[in-house]
Amino acid sequence: MMPPLALPEINKILLVLILFLAVLIITVKDLLFLNFLYRIQSFFIVLVSLALYAPDRKTSLLAVASITLLSKVIIIPSIIKNAQNKLKIKRDVEFHYLTPISSILVSIAVFFAVYLSFSRLITELPDKTFLITGSLSVSLMFMGMIIIFTRQQTITNIIGFLTIENGVLLFSLFMAELPLIVEVLILLDLVMLIVLASLLAFGIDSNIEEFHKKLQPLSKFLGGQK
Amino acid sequence: MIETNVFFASIFFGISIILPVLVSISRPIARRISMACAGLGLLALADISLRVMITNSAMTLNLASFYKELSFELLIDRLSAFFILTIILVSLAVLIYSFRYVEHLKKKHGKNIAVSLMNLFIVSMILVVASKNLISFLFLWELMSISSFFLVYFDYEQKTTGKAGMFYIIMTQLSTLFLIASFLLVYSSGNSFEIRQMPQNAPMASVIFILAFLGFGIKAGVIPFHKWLPYAHPAAPSNISALMSGLMIKVAIYGMIRILLTVLPKPLLWWGVLILLFGTLSAVLGVIYALKEHDIKRLLAYHSIENIGIILIGLGLYVIFKASHFEALAFMAIAGSLFHTLNHALFKSLLFLTSGSVVMATETKNIEDMGGLIKNMPATAFLFLIGAVSISALPPFNGFVSEYMIFYVFFNTHVLISPFLKILLVASACILALTSALAAACFVKAFGTIFLGVPRSKHASSAQEASKSMIIGPAIIAILCALLGIFSFQIFSILGFNFPIPNMMYISIVLAGTYLIFFLLLYRASKIRVYETWSCGFPLSNGKTEYTASGFSEPIVTIFRAIYKPKRNSTKEFYDDSNVIVSHGHAEMSLMKFFEEYLYAPVLKAVDFTSGITARLQAGYLDLYIVYVFLGSLALLIAMGVLT
Amino acid sequence: MNELLIYSVLNILAVILISPFFMGVIKKIKAWCQGREGQPLLQQYYNLIKLLRKESVVSSTSSWITRATPYVNVAALITAALFVPVLFVPSGSTLFGNLILMLYLLALAKFFMALAGLDAGSTFGGMGSSREMAFSAILEPVIIIIFLALAFMFKTPNLFEIFRQASAVGILYAKPLLILLMVSLFIVLIAETSRVPVDNPETHLELTMIHEGMVLEQSGKYLGMMELSHAMKQTLLMAVLINILVPIGFSTALSFYSIAISFAAFMAKGTALAAVIGIFESSIAKLRLFRLPVMFMVAFFLAFLTIILEVYG
Repeated sequence: MMPPLALPEINKILLVLILFLAVLIITVKDLLFLNFLYRIQSFFIVLVSLALYAPDRKTSLLAVASITLLSKVIIIPSIIKNAQNKLKIKRDVEFHYLTPISSILVSIAVFFAVYLSFSRLITELPDKTFLITGSLSVSLMFMGMIIIFTRQQTITNIIGFLTIENGVLLFSLFMAELPLIVEVLILLDLVMLIVLASLLAFGIDSNIEEFHKKLQPLSKFLGGQK
Repeated sequence: MIETNVFFASIFFGISIILPVLVSISRPIARRISMACAGLGLLALADISLRVMITNSAMTLNLASFYKELSFELLIDRLSAFFILTIILVSLAVLIYSFRYVEHLKKKHGKNIAVSLMNLFIVSMILVVASKNLISFLFLWELMSISSFFLVYFDYEQKTTGKAGMFYIIMTQLSTLFLIASFLLVYSSGNSFEIRQMPQNAPMASVIFILAFLGFGIKAGVIPFHKWLPYAHPAAPSNISALMSGLMIKVAIYGMIRILLTVLPKPLLWWGVLILLFGTLSAVLGVIYALKEHDIKRLLAYHSIENIGIILIGLGLYVIFKASHFEALAFMAIAGSLFHTLNHALFKSLLFLTSGSVVMATETKNIEDMGGLIKNMPATAFLFLIGAVSISALPPFNGFVSEYMIFYVFFNTHVLISPFLKILLVASACILALTSALAAACFVKAFGTIFLGVPRSKHASSAQEASKSMIIGPAIIAILCALLGIFSFQIFSILGFNFPIPNMMYISIVLAGTYLIFFLLLYRASKIRVYETWSCGFPLSNGKTEYTASGFSEPIVTIFRAIYKPKRNSTKEFYDDSNVIVSHGHAEMSLMKFFEEYLYAPVLKAVDFTSGITARLQAGYLDLYIVYVFLGSLALLIAMGVLT
Repeated sequence: MNELLIYSVLNILAVILISPFFMGVIKKIKAWCQGREGQPLLQQYYNLIKLLRKESVVSSTSSWITRATPYVNVAALITAALFVPVLFVPSGSTLFGNLILMLYLLALAKFFMALAGLDAGSTFGGMGSSREMAFSAILEPVIIIIFLALAFMFKTPNLFEIFRQASAVGILYAKPLLILLMVSLFIVLIAETSRVPVDNPETHLELTMIHEGMVLEQSGKYLGMMELSHAMKQTLLMAVLINILVPIGFSTALSFYSIAISFAAFMAKGTALAAVIGIFESSIAKLRLFRLPVMFMVAFFLAFLTIILEVYG
């Protein structure tokens, strides 16, 4: 067991790894692997809340850890996996607006901007680590948005949304005020959303543009452009 | 002693400029005497500036004074002496090179004038650097610009030359415009044109700095004011490109450093950030644009932009650390920047001279038509290789040492307090690393396509080695490149600086030693058989199957496609109505000229538009103009009456 | 001065002698992963000796560049070996140990290797050097940012000083952020030594060819020298990783026993790392060429966050 002194450092490492996973989610194309990455990311959040629990022994943190473990590491990913197995599409190939590399550069810039504006906004601080953890979790939310708007497949968009939610959770964890209430409320929303989204995903055969693509080969015989 | 030196130098220079114009014979003798005289004049000056450089003294010379403020006074202090020495070293080599190069030029007439102008160009650069006051600085600056303009225009029959010349003269006049504004502000602060320290007065100082930075930046080819470089350099003869790229843009750097050191010795932090940003941008974009070029001289021109960027990064670091009161690191940064100035002057002129020999031998500037020249031109190839290794900042050559000094300052970023600056500097250091690695890639491409492999054209296979003077000239610079790298530590300690730079002498001894040991150990280890290229069994018939320069840079173009924005245009025509059987097609790929399309063109349009409006005022009738004069004078008179 | 001399000789010899062994370990592990017996551990040494004695065939198109390149490579790598202590750190020396200089010595070797790839005029060689220069260029910022982060953490750009500090305290306990940095360094190690997701050292397929393409036309003693310098480069990068991350047993003083222990410890740790590399290589597929920048970018992101945490945290 690490003495409490090193805990902030461990949290930092975990935070960086969570962001690192978000970066991987931004770049990876394989949908099953994406789901797996999300699972690991949530697991790291469980670890963060456990690391926060260790010194203070607040039960609410333990509750957050167990709820997160149950919902985000086990239930939600398996729902998505089930949905995934019924779909034909295994890969999310295209990127909109930003290439993966520029997404990463943008994420770095976003982090920097968030940090700078936080340090302007919040002048009196109990300790400096809040600034860094706060801006890391907020930039995780932004990265989730990047995932949503650069990708096309419904599943990827769902995972982007879940990443945003993870950012919110992280932020509330480090604020250390109301993590439990926030988490439970959001979670209800989330499970509903996932169920609805996966139902929709079954229904419309992953996305609308797919339909147009099916029509595409016919146009060759019609003598249009292409 | 000094007076006699200057006296002889001016006589020699005088002869070298006037003689070729007076004598109108087309035999080379007049030109040779002229160039020899210029060389002697340079040697006479070298003595003075070396002494100033080593003893760290300063000397003034009053050449002529006309009016209380207007005088031609020279001041040679250590900074000037450093730049004068740089100019002398490069010019000497270029003169030796030109000895034969000028005779090989295709044009019949104008060679004499070219030589005269070249000497005038060299002298004016030296005088700019030695000017004591702003008036003579400006006057000589213009002299330098105009003489180089005529030299760019030398090949005026060619269509492209005309465009290049016009582009160059307009940009250089724009630069002078900013400089005049900046110098007038300096004047107004103390009613003196002397180059001296400004009274501390922050907003005015910032305006002066910005104007001077713009003025010198345009001349130095800082992105986004760089467009004239890739036009002017290929148009000029190679010896002139060497002077322009090696020296003239360095004179602009001198101006910037002079302003920062003497006029505004207490710089503000944000100036440093500004310089650093422009420097980083120039460095990385310069090399990225260089990678796509296949015209050897344009490629080198883009590398000049890159290296100016590196020099500016050093300057920016100087200002940042100076403003944060870290004197030692600031000094190291500016020393690195100055050393890189010298080094770039050397290896860039070396590269321009050797590529001039190559262009002369193969009669093309396109590297895609060269190849295999290392067989026919071994000496030129070797010299070019030294230049390439130096510019790629590889140890133990000089380019490495100056880049190391800048990197060293970057590695000490942790002393700064502001986190913002730290991150900025880290980002800039990463981009600098990218730049130098891309530069290495670019020179692998350049050297590989020009000199290695199989010749790709008839001219390339029948190329002849350059004549002796065209090898000796660059060879001097190549030796200097090696010496300045290997003995950098010793040279700095002679000058009295103890920088924490690695002692390259030991490194070179280890490098050469292991090379020799392995060579001797394995000398008799095995036989060597010469046989045709294996290439996995594919036959290598001619140059067509080789990797081309565009093939070489293709991965980089793909990686940086966000910057190049390659456009693919293809059209197809068909035999039948339902577009099935293709009769013929046309496909082309072009890369976007970002700055031309989005920066220069809109400005041009705006100018065109406003001049269209003002043209209406210029009706061409004398009466109308008299009406203007009448109204104008009346308005002036009334205004004066009202205001006083 | 005396100590420095002993250091130089020992370090260079150690790096030369150990390098083929680690290569062998990686090959063995990969063979096991594929269910093969694999070649003997010392096979790399036999290969080297055989190659150095064998007749070299040189292309008639090529010039002295092809012949000089192997020597330049070996010389640059041996000089670079002076900068990365594998056995012990000599006291109070600032002559070597410079991170930037080491990096540029590696670049010198790479520059000439790429030229040699173009020298014979073969298409494969050109392709290899083109790709190598392009991808090493975009890897360069990653390496510099890792080194900058090291310089930030240890307040010095000197590798000797960094190793000394690393072995003095329980480094991971004091600076846990180093783990993140080492992940990036591992990616750099994989990329620089042309291993699987970046390049495939086993095949001569044009799809995967980077490093192999450049040395395609080398043979005999020239090929031997190229292989040796490649193995040495791998050892040097591994040594940086090992000696910072797990400095257990690493010696900072010059004595026979401590060096013997240090040697044994380095061999053990190096073998372990080589095994990790072997398993990593076996468990992952080759990335598509233009997906590589993304991978480098990910490493860059990690190192950048580390610096930010170090600066602000």
